[in-house]
Amino acid sequence: MATAGTQPLFDVSVSTRSPGRNLPQRVGARLWLPMLALALMAFPAALVLGIVRASEIADGGSAVTIEQLRHVGTGVMFVGFAAVFMAISFAVARILGELRRGGGEVQEAARRPVETLRMPPTARLFLALMLAATMIVGAAVVLHFVFAADVTGSGASLADSEERFIVLEGVRRAGTALYLLAIGLGLATVVRVLRFQAVRMRRLPEEPARDA
Amino acid sequence: MTTHALRLTRRPEPTAAVDAPSRFPSVGIALGLAGLLAVLAALVGNLVAAGDTGAQRAETLAWTFGLTTAGFATLKLGIATILMGVLVRLWLRVDSVKAALPALRPAAEPEGAARYGPIGTPYGPAVASPAALEPLPIHRLARRLWSPMLVLGAMLVAAGLALSFLQAGTSDAGDFLALGAWVQGLQFLGEALLLAGISFLLGSILAALRGGGGEVQEELGLTVKTLTMPRSAKLFVGLMMLGVVAAMAQFVLYAVAASLDDPSTWFAFLAPLREFALGLLLSGIVLALATIGTVLGFQFARIREIVVTGR
Repeated sequence: MATAGTQPLFDVSVSTRSPGRNLPQRVGARLWLPMLALALMAFPAALVLGIVRASEIADGGSAVTIEQLRHVGTGVMFVGFAAVFMAISFAVARILGELRRGGGEVQEAARRPVETLRMPPTARLFLALMLAATMIVGAAVVLHFVFAADVTGSGASLADSEERFIVLEGVRRAGTALYLLAIGLGLATVVRVLRFQAVRMRRLPEEPARDA
Repeated sequence: MTTHALRLTRRPEPTAAVDAPSRFPSVGIALGLAGLLAVLAALVGNLVAAGDTGAQRAETLAWTFGLTTAGFATLKLGIATILMGVLVRLWLRVDSVKAALPALRPAAEPEGAARYGPIGTPYGPAVASPAALEPLPIHRLARRLWSPMLVLGAMLVAAGLALSFLQAGTSDAGDFLALGAWVQGLQFLGEALLLAGISFLLGSILAALRGGGGEVQEELGLTVKTLTMPRSAKLFVGLMMLGVVAAMAQFVLYAVAASLDDPSTWFAFLAPLREFALGLLLSGIVLALATIGTVLGFQFARIREIVVTGR
């Protein structure tokens, strides 16, 4: 049973046993590898689509096909980028999980009160921004596929498609920037946890050990 | 600049205050916010350009490309800055563990003849040795190369940004295409070098974990148990190298495209190639972070073993 406690520098919960990983950390530990696998499939697929589009341009192929391939190729590439940024975020969450679980287990093994850092604001923002970025990039990817299906041979359709591509380009980039900021916040949380653990480790010998 | 970065990330003195807050995360997040603002400004530019036509649209898209890429580079520099903070904090954690463990470990019976050599652990194969192992060549390389990569990467992206403004201001169609090729080639090579710098920083973190773990065990007079290089770490190095080679290839090919009258076919192929290169580097970074997670798990298990058994 955890109780609230506040070290002078950190907001912590106190328990007798290691709390283990929390839910986002368990999700991170499970999903980083499937996300990486998805990214490693999407990147070469998008490259191949780019080569096909380049050969269509070189051969003077249909404008409709070239425009559709532009949307589809970019969509597939950004499936890869969304997956790889999620994999990075999950791997950072896994590191935070190891720090939380391992830190707790060492204190438990030393028969001292197990103090665990409560989720800092940077960690909450990390999760929120990662979700926001996933929704933004995901929506852009879906729209790329929808717009690819919407291209017809008319001049107006091709002009619309170009306009839509430019808008989606800006949106995708904003989503990518949010992913990068989220990852930075996740790593800032790692710095804070390491600081907490260094302080906690130094204090452990001063506290009396529980009876075995 | 690289000397300054190396000085900032030097191992703190053993007497350094462990509870003093780190400035690296604040600086890193500030850089990240600046990068995000640049990308959002470019998004507004794109929305305006979508409503324009002809030359005006092309001019706007030229500078929004340069500004977005510079924004991404700023965000990556922010991440690198925070990773420097991780590196410094890891050493302070090593000193804390060294200070606390002698008082936490129980008195153990003499171990008898210690057995050295390969051992199995739940985290993968490891090695038991009488002393801390030397850093691996890749660790030495990582410690030397992260800062030059970051500096060179930032310089290339900045040069590309300046060229993108030149491109936006030019009225000659040939010059516009040639400058566009140089902007894309330079900026994506710069982005790749920034990611390589981040990869080398992660390699330096892995080196600090290995060196610090060995140092703690050796100083306590214990058998030093060190995780052998996990498969994820080997794949990380492979993907990073492939990514850098692909980024250099796209730069060379953009340089060739810059001299062509009609580079549209080349541009169609090079855009996904340059993104593919970044994708490989980012995939390598995933594996480096996964390796850090595995090594941390192994180290906590070893500290627990020492606290429980005394050896």
